[in-house]
Amino acid sequence: MKRRKTLLHVQEAVMLLICAVFFIPIYYLIVSTFKTQNEIVKAPLALPAHFTLMNYAKAFQAISFFRSFGNSLFVTAISVTLIVVISAMAAYTLARKREARVVKFLDWYLFLGFLIPLQTTMIPLFSIMKGLKLTNSLLGLIFLHCNGCVFGSFLYKGFIKALPEDLEEAARIDGAGTTRIFWKIVFPLLKPITTTLVIFNVMWTWNDFLYTYLFISSSDKSTLIMQVYNGVGQYYNDWSVMMPVLVIALLPMVIFYLILQNQIIGGLTMGSMKN
Amino acid sequence: MREIRKNVPYALFLAPAIIIYTIITFIPVVWTFFYSFTNFNGLSEYEFVGLNNYIQAFTTKNVVQSFRNTLLYAVAVPVSVTVLAIPLAVILSGKMKSRNLQRAIFFFPSVISSLFIGYIWNFILSASKYGLVNSILTGLGMEKLLLLSDPDSAMLLLILVTVWCNLGWHASIYIANIQTISPEFYEAAEVDGASAFDKFRYITFPMLAPAMTTSVMLLLTGSLKAFDMPFALTSGGPGYATTMITQTIITEGIGANRVGFASAMAFIFLFTIAVVSTIQTKFMTKREDNLR
Repeated sequence: MKRRKTLLHVQEAVMLLICAVFFIPIYYLIVSTFKTQNEIVKAPLALPAHFTLMNYAKAFQAISFFRSFGNSLFVTAISVTLIVVISAMAAYTLARKREARVVKFLDWYLFLGFLIPLQTTMIPLFSIMKGLKLTNSLLGLIFLHCNGCVFGSFLYKGFIKALPEDLEEAARIDGAGTTRIFWKIVFPLLKPITTTLVIFNVMWTWNDFLYTYLFISSSDKSTLIMQVYNGVGQYYNDWSVMMPVLVIALLPMVIFYLILQNQIIGGLTMGSMKN
Repeated sequence: MREIRKNVPYALFLAPAIIIYTIITFIPVVWTFFYSFTNFNGLSEYEFVGLNNYIQAFTTKNVVQSFRNTLLYAVAVPVSVTVLAIPLAVILSGKMKSRNLQRAIFFFPSVISSLFIGYIWNFILSASKYGLVNSILTGLGMEKLLLLSDPDSAMLLLILVTVWCNLGWHASIYIANIQTISPEFYEAAEVDGASAFDKFRYITFPMLAPAMTTSVMLLLTGSLKAFDMPFALTSGGPGYATTMITQTIITEGIGANRVGFASAMAFIFLFTIAVVSTIQTKFMTKREDNLR
């Protein structure tokens, strides 16, 4: 028994060491932001000799932080809300009317969407978005992100199928319409899936690069991630600016992760199990 | 008539999703398929060229190479992540006091934008004297390494970075699965005098089939579609050593306006994804069925 305990301690020590090595890239990034370019090269992993926040001042300007942060927040908040609403509604029909032939066909039609990568659609999509006057517009970006409703409706569908219909029938006898039943009774019951879906889509929308890269051209409509990409072009050789830029742009997601860590790990895991 | 009225709300519920999906995904796919048989360049009129674009895709050297890169990457990433994530999940499901902290650390890279992952590792693996690895080597009085600038090691490093950023998430998928395995199995095995390895080999590993289906599926489709991270880490270089098919489609179709040609590549790509995911799902689900 005692031997077993020692073994566990050894295992823990080894694992913590592996964790430390695993974390070096992040540590290196953060510690470098307080150094001069020269110091980054000379003593890369050491703590900064003269603590300075100068790099951060430069970085904040380089990515017009407040504007691009605002754009990211706007796009993410609206997209995620729309995705949740559209997916949950679609899933309700897909689950409750699944016997109907039209619904069966549409279910299959939506399922095809899982196989189709953006690279197969982007060229015509560009013409369509231009026709709709939605290129270089945050609303256009939101519209594109709403495509996440394909994944969302499949996530919800499985869950709704498993819900007993008694409550809904009782409400119907009391004279409630389908819309009322859905919002008052069904939607609140979907909360666990809604949490998962929100986490997934906050991360996808916030971290999206390709849509913004392809469809947003002016810098005042740039998201935070896109601003970092633009910054790389400009400050490619000045790492003392690039590194704090990355840290600043990372921070919102890190805070999101630290606050919701358990829900995020649980949610992402559950979401992928259902899929 | 009443029957129809009763169904109106259901139709309205489904409509937004169908409309959005049709505009963003379905119409463009059909359109891409059509373009793939033309010499459209995004501006002027076009003619039908039959299968020319497809033939050209299979005979252009850098296109073939980018297909090969994508396939190599899509095999190497799922295999390496799976081989590491399963033992990691078993260890993190054990009795260590700091297991939650460890899990949080391993999971951390999954919340970072993959574009940023590419940039961060670029600082580390850069061939210049500024790169972390090279500045350590020079500090120790050793020669600098080419790292990302060496065509032979660039792909290997790209795979390594991808493993780093996916490991924690996929270990979490396995951990969730391990928690559903009844402890009775292990107790019974202990009575029979099974070793730790036996328990893993005959209980844990086979019981992880459902998580494996999901995890491998996500890794496989994810690495076939990968764009941001390789783009940020190496921009596809040196030469075409790490150019993914996704990048080639974008540079040809949008950068060089060879829409017809890019559309043909996009369709070959779509076909590859469809075939690979179907085979993988069939094969993996069979393993799950054997559990019952």
